[in-house]
Amino acid sequence: MSTLDYLFQGFGTALIWYNLIFAFVGVLIGTAVGVLPGIGPMSGVALLIPVTASITSGLSPEQAATSAIILLAGVYYGAMYGGSTTSILLNTPGESSSVVTTLDGYQMAKKGRAGSALSIAAIGSFVAGIVTLLALIFLAKPLSAVALKFGPSEYFSLMLLGLGAVSGLAGKSVTKALIMTVCGLLLGTIGIDSVSGIARFTFDVPWLYQGIEFLTIAVGLFALGEVFKTILEKEEEDGEMARINNLIPSKEEMKESAGPIARGSILGFFVGILPGAGATLASFFSYLLEKKISKNPAKFGTGAIAGVAAPESANNAASGGAMIPLLTMGIPGSGTTAILMGALMMYNVQPGPLLFEDHPQVAWGLIASMFIGNIMLLILNLPLVKVFAKIIQTPKQFLIPMIIAISIFGVYAVQVSMYDLLLLLTCGVLGYFLSKNDYPIAPLVLGLVLGPMVENNLRRALTISNGDYSVFFTRPISMVFLLITALWLIVPFMMKKKGKEVVINVEG
Amino acid sequence: MAIKFDRVASIVFLAVGVLFIVGSRHISSSSYGSVVGPDIFPFVLGGLLVLLSIRLFFEANQSKGAEGNKEKLEYKPFIIIFVATLLYILTLETIGYVITTFLFLLVCFQTMERKKLIMSIIISAAFSGLVYFLFVDVLKGTLPGWPIWF
Repeated sequence: MSTLDYLFQGFGTALIWYNLIFAFVGVLIGTAVGVLPGIGPMSGVALLIPVTASITSGLSPEQAATSAIILLAGVYYGAMYGGSTTSILLNTPGESSSVVTTLDGYQMAKKGRAGSALSIAAIGSFVAGIVTLLALIFLAKPLSAVALKFGPSEYFSLMLLGLGAVSGLAGKSVTKALIMTVCGLLLGTIGIDSVSGIARFTFDVPWLYQGIEFLTIAVGLFALGEVFKTILEKEEEDGEMARINNLIPSKEEMKESAGPIARGSILGFFVGILPGAGATLASFFSYLLEKKISKNPAKFGTGAIAGVAAPESANNAASGGAMIPLLTMGIPGSGTTAILMGALMMYNVQPGPLLFEDHPQVAWGLIASMFIGNIMLLILNLPLVKVFAKIIQTPKQFLIPMIIAISIFGVYAVQVSMYDLLLLLTCGVLGYFLSKNDYPIAPLVLGLVLGPMVENNLRRALTISNGDYSVFFTRPISMVFLLITALWLIVPFMMKKKGKEVVINVEG
Repeated sequence: MAIKFDRVASIVFLAVGVLFIVGSRHISSSSYGSVVGPDIFPFVLGGLLVLLSIRLFFEANQSKGAEGNKEKLEYKPFIIIFVATLLYILTLETIGYVITTFLFLLVCFQTMERKKLIMSIIISAAFSGLVYFLFVDVLKGTLPGWPIWF
């Protein structure tokens, strides 16, 4: 079957009534998550995994996986839309990927052009979403064909590259990021070893035999960690919401932002594909690019529409681009995609080159639903932007305890174990203290998700080579991956030594 | 604060690394048909963690910047909510979901801000009742509903 046939089948899946509802709920919650500062896409997605797992429990496994991933991905790219709203209206970015948008977006709002800033941001996000989807469709087949040729040694090196890249870019200190990665990998070794069937680090505790559940750790570290942060560091919100008067951008504004949107989409897409670099970096780079090629760079920071259009397109494109390594090779490049991958694996769907062969319904259903989701977002965001902006006024008094209750309910519903709840609470406290002290959490979750796969591929490769470790260096592709990993970790380190400022990725 | 935390953390991570190395020595070193046993991977990782934590310790000592900006942290509500969560978790299976969730939410709502008592009661009751109804009656999930002695 050709790609087009698959795509049509995908639309067939995505247009089933409940999948439409799932996509709609996903993008709706995503936008809300994007608007609310304090809840990022990572904790939003983590929080919703158990909820979707219980909602989809009545469907067949493959359908359940499709519906769940449609909803979760919707939260992910929906958050990219929502993040711009508060950046522009309140000067408080809802996501780290919208920080750059505040520079010009809020200035525009001050000048009474909030409406056009918002609509340009939404249009830019939409265009970027479509561009990346088209690229995803064209790249999916050839990329997974390449990835199919990989042996265990290539996979091992590729996963190391993914882990190295995320650690190299996450947080202020590479050492801390690497520690978190190693901790994640170590946590992944707890439980029954899938190759030999030997129990490791279980201390005869039955609860530990199935291994540390990724879901518990992710919800605890991200969602509860952020909740505790909000409780401990109570902030008084101030700032007046800018008024939105005219939502339709003028022809001039459209013309002015067409270029930045196109450039932002393409740049964001490629940054998104790179492991480790996420939406935050993409928006940052595209803003710098626009400033550089602009005829009068002095205009930036005073309300240039290009300063809104470019980063907003870029962060949306990056979130789409990040799906490519996840879907075609099974390597998540960021914290959020790691969580999405963990969610897929909960349904026994292994992302990777075989995904398009084994589960075309999941893969193409997701791609088709992203089309629909992006259209929904555009329709939702333009007229309803005022409603969404109101979400920020949700009293924390009710929101925070409810997030705790939802995470406890979610983890219990899936795990049915009190020990998991205790682990959840511990992770919440740990998550707060770790991220407060610049220990990035995304690498830990990535390590936990990838750990068993890294180990299996390592051991497979070594079994094939009869224990000869040189196999990783003699196979050319594997060698290249390892070289890039080394460079990725060493170059930022050298640059820091020289006193240069290194751009880091705050959120995964 | 951050530097002190780093020092303590480096020692904790060092201990974790050593424990994993020691622990991996107790795992049998080979599995049938393979020269690489289940012990290699955790052993190497444990070693890596030890090395990294030593590096972290020195990094923490090097950068002794005088970061004196103490943020005011709201410990009181945090501790109340933490204890409430702990009690909630521990009593969930015996007293059941509906009652514990209601009490937990009510306590937390009032801890966050001491106002809107009636609103808090309504929301807590609605949340616990609705979640239980949707999950158990509509979705046929498993949740300890009411006290076990009921």
